[in-house]
Amino acid sequence: MNKDISTILKSVSKPGRYSGGEFGQIIKDKSKIKARFAFCFPDTYEIGMSNLGMRILYGVLNREEDVWCERVYTPWLDMQEQMREHDIPLTACESGDELTAFDMIGFTLQYEMSYTNVLRMLKLAGIPLRSADRDDSMPIIIGGGPCAYNPEPVADFFDLFNIGEGEEMLPELCRLYISMKDDGSYTKEAYLHRAASEIEGIYVPSLYEVSYRDDGTIKEYKPKYDDIPRSVKKRIITDLDKAYFPDKVVMPYIETVHDRVMLEVFRGCIRGCRFCQAGIIYRPVREKSPEVLNSQAKCLFESTGYDEISLTSLSISDYTELEELTDMLLKWTDENMVSLSLPSLRVDSFTKELMEKIASVRSSSLTFAPEAGTQRLRDVINKNVYEEDLLRAVNVAFEAGKNKVKLYFMQGLPTETYEDLEGIAKLATSVVDAYYKCPKRNKARSPQVTISVSCFIPKPFTPFQWAAQDSLETLEEKQVYLGSKVTDRKVVYTHHDAKVSRIEAVLARGDRRLSAALELAAAEDFMFDSWDECFDYDKWISVIERSGLDAAFYANREFGEDEVLPWDIIDCGVTKEFLLREYKNAKSEKTTPNCREKCSGCGANRLGGERSCCPKAVK
Amino acid sequence: MLSEGGKITRPMLMRSLPELQSPITVRLKFIKTGSLQYISHLDLQRTFNRILVRSGLPVWYSKGFNPHIKLVFSTPLSVGTQSECEYLDLRLDREMPLDKVKELLNAEMTEELYVTDVYIPTAKFSDIAYCRYEYEIFSDGVSKELCGEISELFSTSPLKMVKKTKSGEKEIDIVPLIKSFEVGYCESFGTLKLEAVLSAATDSFLNPEMIITALKERLLILCGDPSKEWYTITRKEALTAELKSFR
Repeated sequence: MNKDISTILKSVSKPGRYSGGEFGQIIKDKSKIKARFAFCFPDTYEIGMSNLGMRILYGVLNREEDVWCERVYTPWLDMQEQMREHDIPLTACESGDELTAFDMIGFTLQYEMSYTNVLRMLKLAGIPLRSADRDDSMPIIIGGGPCAYNPEPVADFFDLFNIGEGEEMLPELCRLYISMKDDGSYTKEAYLHRAASEIEGIYVPSLYEVSYRDDGTIKEYKPKYDDIPRSVKKRIITDLDKAYFPDKVVMPYIETVHDRVMLEVFRGCIRGCRFCQAGIIYRPVREKSPEVLNSQAKCLFESTGYDEISLTSLSISDYTELEELTDMLLKWTDENMVSLSLPSLRVDSFTKELMEKIASVRSSSLTFAPEAGTQRLRDVINKNVYEEDLLRAVNVAFEAGKNKVKLYFMQGLPTETYEDLEGIAKLATSVVDAYYKCPKRNKARSPQVTISVSCFIPKPFTPFQWAAQDSLETLEEKQVYLGSKVTDRKVVYTHHDAKVSRIEAVLARGDRRLSAALELAAAEDFMFDSWDECFDYDKWISVIERSGLDAAFYANREFGEDEVLPWDIIDCGVTKEFLLREYKNAKSEKTTPNCREKCSGCGANRLGGERSCCPKAVK
Repeated sequence: MLSEGGKITRPMLMRSLPELQSPITVRLKFIKTGSLQYISHLDLQRTFNRILVRSGLPVWYSKGFNPHIKLVFSTPLSVGTQSECEYLDLRLDREMPLDKVKELLNAEMTEELYVTDVYIPTAKFSDIAYCRYEYEIFSDGVSKELCGEISELFSTSPLKMVKKTKSGEKEIDIVPLIKSFEVGYCESFGTLKLEAVLSAATDSFLNPEMIITALKERLLILCGDPSKEWYTITRKEALTAELKSFR
């Protein structure tokens, strides 16, 4: 029952989000397809279309001749209202078919606050939320992405999770599905069991029984069968030079968040900042060669016509051949009016030479992330940058005529004191002073330093995974305190909503029992919780309490060293012992050298990897 | 898959083509239909920029600090209206056969957005005085009998309608802006078919959607369930003041 939505599209905002028909979308002949895959991004089209992972996996799946992967995004509020009113189900971009027509539905879990959108999308598709309520006729619901490293809060809704990089895992899942359908052995139960036992990186939550202690902590995870892993090891692509990378992409007509060529230079990060999950879960660091990157960039430029290439990786300036790469790129980008951009620059690697190569010429603003206001706290978090580095970096920027600097910080970090908070304000002021001391500054403009302060959220698979988040009252009080210390009118202070950060902490460190709270949230139409206009803290606390749970148990409690953590069922390569060692180093304000200086034995080298900076990597 | 220059890049192409004394303006006639009707003018501009870069055409870039491609579009097309006669002028700074231009562009476009003609323009966009539109309407209760009422509605001045402008709302009589109007009923599909020639001059442009608004407000057509009722508006032809086809 494909309803005509043309009239409705004329009445909603940004109809280009739903109309499809993009250049580069992949249309296949349904009669030749054995597995239809709906790749869902649980947020708006503009955000989803900007996701590099989705671009890669869309290409990977569609490389399989008998698999057709399509895209699905969350319709915005006004569209959902129309869908509800006129009984219009959620459909996929390419075919316009309902999600129930698909064999598999994959959700990428990029941030915890998108969980309610996942459930919302299932609801709009008319699919039962709980895995246990879906029979053999229903599509298999798959989760992946960074949040799948602690899948427990959404465990009851998903049939299986992909742990780690999906380029090989997803096609394997499709092949298994197709072979079982072909030989008639397919039942949902049989499929899940075989996937868990035969494909590395697959976690099927329903195949594990979880028991709890009297104090509410987890007693143990018990696999229901002997042939499924006791802990699910993450999958990685060992050689990124040889890995699939899309040579063309779907071109959005409407403006998206990252509307440019995204070139993934390497995976992982050598730094090991103790709050950072990405820095741990993507280990070991694996680089692509500049030659491969250059040819991929050129190919993508030709197939997209984008005028900007962004080198995307964590801490991009740590790429060992950055100079070679940028030189190669500049040989053809300049004459083609293509500019380069680098996100996430570290202050200790920001040089005049580098700045001259990148595109930010057009913008007068540069962004750095010192994360903490004092050296003591920067040592605690293992940031390993110094005030001198920052001042040197901003000086380079000021000399080049820039007058705006944006600085990212975190508040509520473990061991934080009021002195550390004041340090943020002081650091901002010293950047303002540096501007006036810079003889080559743009004298026609005055400086503007924006300090953007987020709240610390303890994340699984970080040394701070055991740490308690500050109580909501403390977080908010600290925000006010910092505000009172920012007296310089050239400094603009912005901060995140502490309430959102608290719920994020609950979901990040939650266990399986939180599925009940999320189910309630879905029943009460929670959605777009990462959007200010939709998030309602009191309602969140209410669904958590009504599920018999306590937000503070997850967010504000220091987890015990010996405690079984909800995500212990996942093996991300980095060992728990290393993380604990790092947590103790943090408490004694001891820094740890980066992977290139010295191997600290995190354990990720077990996973192997070509062109890896990991000196002990298994080759 | 990742060969060096699987396609000819602009600089390579440029070097192989004879240079022109000064850039030459070419006009593209293109269609914008189906899902593309929901794409705004600004988004279309960005889309064309990328199409032009992908095509590798020897497009002229403005000189200066921030070189960019200069695009000039004809009569604006509002979101929700399809068109079979959009025009875009752009400049090339190397010589290239016009059918080659068309071929290179269409390789980068879709069946809902493609070039139907490429030529050296003689007329100016300001010569466009009218546009001819076709409407197809499927709505509860439309019938053959309704045609007379509709004809009368659009021929009886004044038909005061609210027009939204940048400076606010104002009431205008739309009848003088309707050059001609025909309505018919299609028995087999149960749809109304309208054809209207509407003013398209810059100072008296009539948005074709206004005809639909009038039908809704005055005759309660298309006021039912929007998931069952539908309408399409298609711009078929641009006309000069003498009602000759614009080129």
